[in-house]
Amino acid sequence: MKTYKFIFIFVAVIGLFSSCQDFLDRPPLSQITPDQYLNQESQLASYAINLYAYKDGNGNIVSVFPTHGAWSFGTFGIDVNTDNMASKDYNNMYVPGQLKVAQSGGDWEFSNIRQCNYFLEKVIPLWKAGKIGGDAGNINNYIGEVYTMRAWNYFTKLQKFGDFPIIKMTLTDNMDVLTNASKRAPCNEVARFIIADLDSAISLMKTTSIDGKNNRLSKNTALLLKSRVALYEASWLKNFKGTAFVPNGTDWPGKSKDYNANYLFPSGSIDAEITYFLTQSIDASAQVADAIPLVTNTMTAEQQTGLAFSQASDVNPYCSMFGSVDMSGFSEVLLWRQYSKGSGLTHNVPNYEESGNDGIGLTRGMVDGFLMANGLPIYAPESGYMGDDSIAQLKINRDGRLWLFLKQPGQINVLYPSNIGDHATPVELIPDITNGSAETVYSTGYTIRKGLNYNQNQCANGGGYTGAIVFRAVEAYLNYIEAYYLLNGNLDSKAQSYWTLIRQRAGVDADFNKTIAATDVSQEAKNDWGAYSGGQLVDQTLYNIRRERRCELMAEGLRYMDLQRWRAMDQMITTHYHIEGFKLWGPIKNWYDISILKFGIGDASTVSDPSLSTYLRPYERTTTSLAYNGYKWAMAHYLQPIATSNFLITSKNNDVTTSPIYQNPGWLVTANSGAQN
Amino acid sequence: MKIKNKFLFILTISILIMPSLWAIGKSSAIDSLTSQQQQTEGTIKGKVTDKSGETLIGVSIKIKGTNSGTITDVNGSFTLSKVTPSTILIFSYIGMNSIEVKVENQTSLIVKLEDNSVKMDEVVVVGFGTQKKVNLTGAVGTVDSKMLQDRPVQNVAQALQGVVPGLNISQSSGGNLGNNPSINIRGIGTIGAGSNGSPLILIDGTEGDINSLNPQDIDNISVLKDASASSIYGSRAAFGVILITTKKGKAGKTTVNYSNSFRLSSPINLPQMMNSYDFARFFNAANENGGGGAIFSDARIQSIQDYQNGKLGNKTIPVSANNPQYWGDGYATGNDNIDWYKAIYKSSAPSMDNAISVSGGNENVTYYLSGDYLNQVGLMKIGGDNSQRYNLTGNISIKLSPAVTIAYNSKFIRQDFDRPSAETNGLNQDLARQGWPTLPLYDPNGYLYSSPSPALALQNGGRTKTQNDATYQQVQLIVNPLKGWTIHADLNYRVYDNFNHWDDQQTYNHDVNGNAYLFNSYSDVHEDAYKENYFNPNIYTDFTKKINDHNFKVLVGYQSELDYTRSVAVTRQGIIVPSLPVLNQTTGTDASNIAQSPTVSGDYQQWSTTGVFGRINYNYAEKYLLEANIRYDGTSRYQQDQRWTVLPSFSAGWNVANELFWESLQKYVSVLKLRVSYGELGNQNTSNWYPTYLTMPVGTSNGSWLVNGLQPNTASAPGLITSTLGWEKVSTWNGGVDVSAFNSRLTLSYDNYVRFTDNMTGPAPELPTTLGTSVPAANNTNMKTAGFELNLAWKDRLSNGLGYSIGFLMADSKSFITNYPNPTGNLSTYKSGQQIGEIWGYQTIGIAQTNDQMDAHLAALANGGQNSLGTNWQAGDIMYADLNKDGKIDGGAGTLSDHGDLKIIGNNSPRYTFGINLGADWKGFDFKAFFQGTMKRDYFQGSYYFWGASSSGEWWSTGLQQHLDYFRNDPNDPMGLNLNSYYPRPLFNGKNQQTQTAYLQDASYIRLKNLQFGYTVPQTLTKKIAIDKIRIFVSGDNLWTLTKLAKMFDPETVDGGASNNGNVYPLSTVYACGLSINF
Repeated sequence: MKTYKFIFIFVAVIGLFSSCQDFLDRPPLSQITPDQYLNQESQLASYAINLYAYKDGNGNIVSVFPTHGAWSFGTFGIDVNTDNMASKDYNNMYVPGQLKVAQSGGDWEFSNIRQCNYFLEKVIPLWKAGKIGGDAGNINNYIGEVYTMRAWNYFTKLQKFGDFPIIKMTLTDNMDVLTNASKRAPCNEVARFIIADLDSAISLMKTTSIDGKNNRLSKNTALLLKSRVALYEASWLKNFKGTAFVPNGTDWPGKSKDYNANYLFPSGSIDAEITYFLTQSIDASAQVADAIPLVTNTMTAEQQTGLAFSQASDVNPYCSMFGSVDMSGFSEVLLWRQYSKGSGLTHNVPNYEESGNDGIGLTRGMVDGFLMANGLPIYAPESGYMGDDSIAQLKINRDGRLWLFLKQPGQINVLYPSNIGDHATPVELIPDITNGSAETVYSTGYTIRKGLNYNQNQCANGGGYTGAIVFRAVEAYLNYIEAYYLLNGNLDSKAQSYWTLIRQRAGVDADFNKTIAATDVSQEAKNDWGAYSGGQLVDQTLYNIRRERRCELMAEGLRYMDLQRWRAMDQMITTHYHIEGFKLWGPIKNWYDISILKFGIGDASTVSDPSLSTYLRPYERTTTSLAYNGYKWAMAHYLQPIATSNFLITSKNNDVTTSPIYQNPGWLVTANSGAQN
Repeated sequence: MKIKNKFLFILTISILIMPSLWAIGKSSAIDSLTSQQQQTEGTIKGKVTDKSGETLIGVSIKIKGTNSGTITDVNGSFTLSKVTPSTILIFSYIGMNSIEVKVENQTSLIVKLEDNSVKMDEVVVVGFGTQKKVNLTGAVGTVDSKMLQDRPVQNVAQALQGVVPGLNISQSSGGNLGNNPSINIRGIGTIGAGSNGSPLILIDGTEGDINSLNPQDIDNISVLKDASASSIYGSRAAFGVILITTKKGKAGKTTVNYSNSFRLSSPINLPQMMNSYDFARFFNAANENGGGGAIFSDARIQSIQDYQNGKLGNKTIPVSANNPQYWGDGYATGNDNIDWYKAIYKSSAPSMDNAISVSGGNENVTYYLSGDYLNQVGLMKIGGDNSQRYNLTGNISIKLSPAVTIAYNSKFIRQDFDRPSAETNGLNQDLARQGWPTLPLYDPNGYLYSSPSPALALQNGGRTKTQNDATYQQVQLIVNPLKGWTIHADLNYRVYDNFNHWDDQQTYNHDVNGNAYLFNSYSDVHEDAYKENYFNPNIYTDFTKKINDHNFKVLVGYQSELDYTRSVAVTRQGIIVPSLPVLNQTTGTDASNIAQSPTVSGDYQQWSTTGVFGRINYNYAEKYLLEANIRYDGTSRYQQDQRWTVLPSFSAGWNVANELFWESLQKYVSVLKLRVSYGELGNQNTSNWYPTYLTMPVGTSNGSWLVNGLQPNTASAPGLITSTLGWEKVSTWNGGVDVSAFNSRLTLSYDNYVRFTDNMTGPAPELPTTLGTSVPAANNTNMKTAGFELNLAWKDRLSNGLGYSIGFLMADSKSFITNYPNPTGNLSTYKSGQQIGEIWGYQTIGIAQTNDQMDAHLAALANGGQNSLGTNWQAGDIMYADLNKDGKIDGGAGTLSDHGDLKIIGNNSPRYTFGINLGADWKGFDFKAFFQGTMKRDYFQGSYYFWGASSSGEWWSTGLQQHLDYFRNDPNDPMGLNLNSYYPRPLFNGKNQQTQTAYLQDASYIRLKNLQFGYTVPQTLTKKIAIDKIRIFVSGDNLWTLTKLAKMFDPETVDGGASNNGNVYPLSTVYACGLSINF
């Protein structure tokens, strides 16, 4: 009996524990499931802002818009590796053969796009059903932000790859679905898709930023972006017309795939497409330009020097706009990123502003491209150009923008001393051109003060927190002028007034016709790749429109995009181009102890040989430099190659020809291969 | 010198203790002598034989209570003088039972010794019970408390390294206080993508933390290696079980044990940096070779030399040229000559351990109580780090009635850690890569100067303080309703309470006039708390029955686990008073008085498992042994339809030595057992506790894009999950043999096994990037691991009384991926058929001695030379071999079908890990030496730490002594010509640093892990002061190492540290001395 009692108790106790079937149902206790989220205005706001900048899997901050990063020259350094700005080391893009097809990785990826798609796929039905709580106007605005972000992400892909898959929803991890989704849409279709998204954003968003500080996107930013994208695609189609780089052009690789073999332009022809995009750009840019006045430049005359210069430029909105901690007061800044020491979100741009610009110098080409204040090019007989035997000298009577933004030794960099800024350079030094460090060297001798902040508290090592401009309204003025001219071959009164406003602010004679008349494009071509399209010099008017863009948007990160859409590098396929800095082998050489200016001694040379040029050539110091003979180009480089693994994954039996993806013109599918033409 | 001094000091103290004990002993010895003189002294003769009458040679005969005695000669005879009738003689012999004989009035003796059947009765703790060792059929390794005794270790796991074949302990992440070694059984069980394969560690039957245990509390450890041994634990035991049993009280006399040790740690393999001049030349060479010019100008090099030669006095750094109020930038202008490792780490640090235990009881109540205090000082010279551990253990067992016993077991463990907040995982990395020797430690006025350098923040940048408490409560009810039937009901409850604090303080540099100015303006206080409640009931019953020679044992039971955690964490900026870093005393504003939202987080987590199990043991006359287990297990990790699994296992053994035909060999070989087992286990240890639930990543005030100056809340799209994710199946075949021979002098145990890990949660297969997110983990990978374990030991006592032992153990395993979806054959992920650990690299021809040699090499490569690896090939660069003869050097498409010139050049899995144990004792002296190592391991350390100058440029490079051996072919080079160099010419470029044969490291090693000398004071002396036993000892850990590995790495940590660059908080050589007293 006793035995049975024990057995009974044993079984009963086991039963007690195991009978609870839901003992093993242990759902997450602290995590939000997707159905609980994205149905409140504030949740939409949180999701949308994370699309601007986010932390990746390694905790690194990825800014989707180009802004300032921890140890870089931020937005002011993006133009490096163009004819405008140069770092200490040459770039492989201009050494054909050195830029290669990667085995894997690269920009052929869709993570940001998926983030946008997830939001739109989930929110739009709820929104249409009226199931999202909160203020309707605000909800619309946040949805518009996400449309803008998807457009932005697609625009970055358009610039890198041209034809690109259009994916409007999140996909499952199914091989067939994903392979099918890899089909590349022709580039004009991608651009149309971007414009459609921007049109949605424009219809939904508030005219000005919802936060009141322009830290978030607005209708105006969407319009500006639309004008940029449309102008980009229009000029791309126009300049590459007939080549493999546009749909239905000769050897267009899209033809090799069934799904693109019989492609028809939605407007009927490539020319109609160009017209369509130009019209879109003109319309969008005028809306912005008409609404947003330019910030004033209170220093149009070259009167102040020394301390007075610094004090005046500190209070000059046109100067302080680029280096302020709070940029919300500048009408022209449509979107900017704020930094904060307390949040640990800081950068080193202010220190680089006061020193060698993180080794990214302006080129001689950029500096020489600026007009004289009288509106004449420097080579014009009556220009009054004083020569470039010193930095101060070359700035005499020049375009006010060069005078304002090109640094010269002896200028005051700090007006408000602070003991937080032990890395400040209170007085601008003689450019340290022989420094071995790519970070502290003055690569060309010319550096900018665009973005400089006169408060020393910005100059703790890595501890600056000046804002970063993402969109500046003046671009809309420039887009309008260019788009209008491309469409009509002349300038309407609106375009003329925009151009006048820009030149007036710059402190240049507003009579652009005088400049056009005095311009010799073949002279300009020595210093400016933008003098060409497809290897041919452009007309004087178009050239001066491009010059205005170059000078106004100097060091603002748009140069490579412009060169690309203008197809401005073809001439370098045959002719080398020498990147040059200041005129070292003139009187400037006396700034230095002659023993540190070593040349012709191989890898230990610190400067280029005077027999090559009286100007410093950063990439021609040693003969082992692959750019020793100058920069070259390959057609293929206008677009990026797609990494080999993408073809393999989407192919059958590892036969890459079965992949729906086609490689960009001039590139092979083989990993490690360089451009073919 | 410093280590020596401290060590001598401690030694002196021990020596001082010794004579005083001896003096006490001596006076009592005199007493005993006087009393003995009153009795008649005589001589006794005799003979010792075994059961069958055969004489035994070398039997030890000892006079009880002394160290004096003798042994039998070749005829088995002995003579012993100076005995009195009250003398008691102890006869002992390996493999035989010791016996005691009182002399009384005898003058000659015939003593028969019986076979050591106690030895044959040795029991081993196995899952939910014990088993006679001779009857084991699974692969079980055991460790007794002696192995752990007196090792100066931070934690138990360190002491287990190399002790059990197949139990792998590695300390690869370095020697930081509180840094726990990682443990695996039989090599990697799972590839660690979304699941982990750590062994289950049970302390008295409930899961616990091995690292915080007091080693003195451990009675024995069993390591269950194969599936049949561990399968009774089901889903949590897929990769083996470590069963730790703590000491229990025994009925009888109350015994008190006190032991202590004093330790001195000094870092091993601390990297040695170049001096400032060599460093400047080295970095200049690296930059100039790439056409980048000099980083250190001639003028700067001059001032570096001047400083070294004392010409600059204390001018470690000049005044800033452009900012004369301040000192210059350390990188751009420093002249100092600092070895940052020497500056940051001490040459020695003391620590101390005190343990006391009391045990005893009567036939109804037994108890064991213990306490332990370990105080350990870390190696940080600047800032300082230390830890304390407190252990309190109580085991009480009460017999309520003849059939019912209740036991209560309680453990409380507290660990405190205190270290600079700046001592992060990245510290060692920063010392190497940004600790340029020229960077000043102090400014010319003598203030710590950060420009930046780590010292200032270590000293003044705030502290991290962690307190981890663990409480284990266990109530066990044991009922014996009938003979042979036992019911166990255990309720285990464990609570972890972890509190962590850190504060970041503002730090100040000093300007040229010695005025302080804010260097780091950021200050904050962080507090976090974590609590884990773990509840684990085990109820099981077993029944033993013997019918003639048929022995049965049946076990059934139930087990479940519920784990529930909660946490809260807050960080707020703006410390008001630096000496009061508490949340209440923070402003919530940054240095510019701008309000900053505090970071606040907190969560709850849970999981549970449940299972029922059964086991049948059968043996026939201990000849034929059979065991079968089955477990039915469920887990909360998977959805309902994937939740449950059945896990069967079987094992069988044949003890040949118990067969009749073996009888004549029995006296030589008493155990010869053949074993075989097979078992299936499931692994549910997914790293995500809710792998099948889709959750939304949401963050509060953590956005990187400020809105109105504040960090916004954020959210992003959920990743993908595999809703059908389920069990990993682990099945193991194990075959083994156990031998015990020559009266148990020689023991051997050998196991051979194959383990299949099927349906492993593998890395996601590659999918087209159009997916836009990581591919979710799936049960997509199969792996096979095969290996063996050998444990060989010889133990004997020589005729002169010297006892000695030699143990050798070895384990090896190889793992292969048998199936993984990688249709493109991508080399960067797993491939079906690959061996785990394989290293793909190029074949090195050598360093080109001249430009001509390089040109000739490139000319032979017509289709592109070495262009895909880099350009500008010259003398001093590496020449790679064109293995596929395609006229160019590259890695092809990076796939199995096209891997260019890459080939498998080695394998980084540790192979043939071994341990050698030597022991001896003689007249109270004992000696122990323990070596441990790996016989074969390749490693390619591609970090800047190995290369010096790296492709990531000057900020991710370093200059250690070893890097000076770089190629120099310019006769005018200030560092001298060095054509026959180890390293190629330095470059901030990776072209010479491809994974390749010439720089593949041989990471095999042998290390003297522990060396110990002890002396036990004779009992006759100690008895007089009521002490049963006093043992004093000196011991050393990590005393000697032999390896061919590059000198900046330690073989145990070569793959540890940030980004696996082998750069870690150093391991230590530990010298210790101490004593142990039993009352």
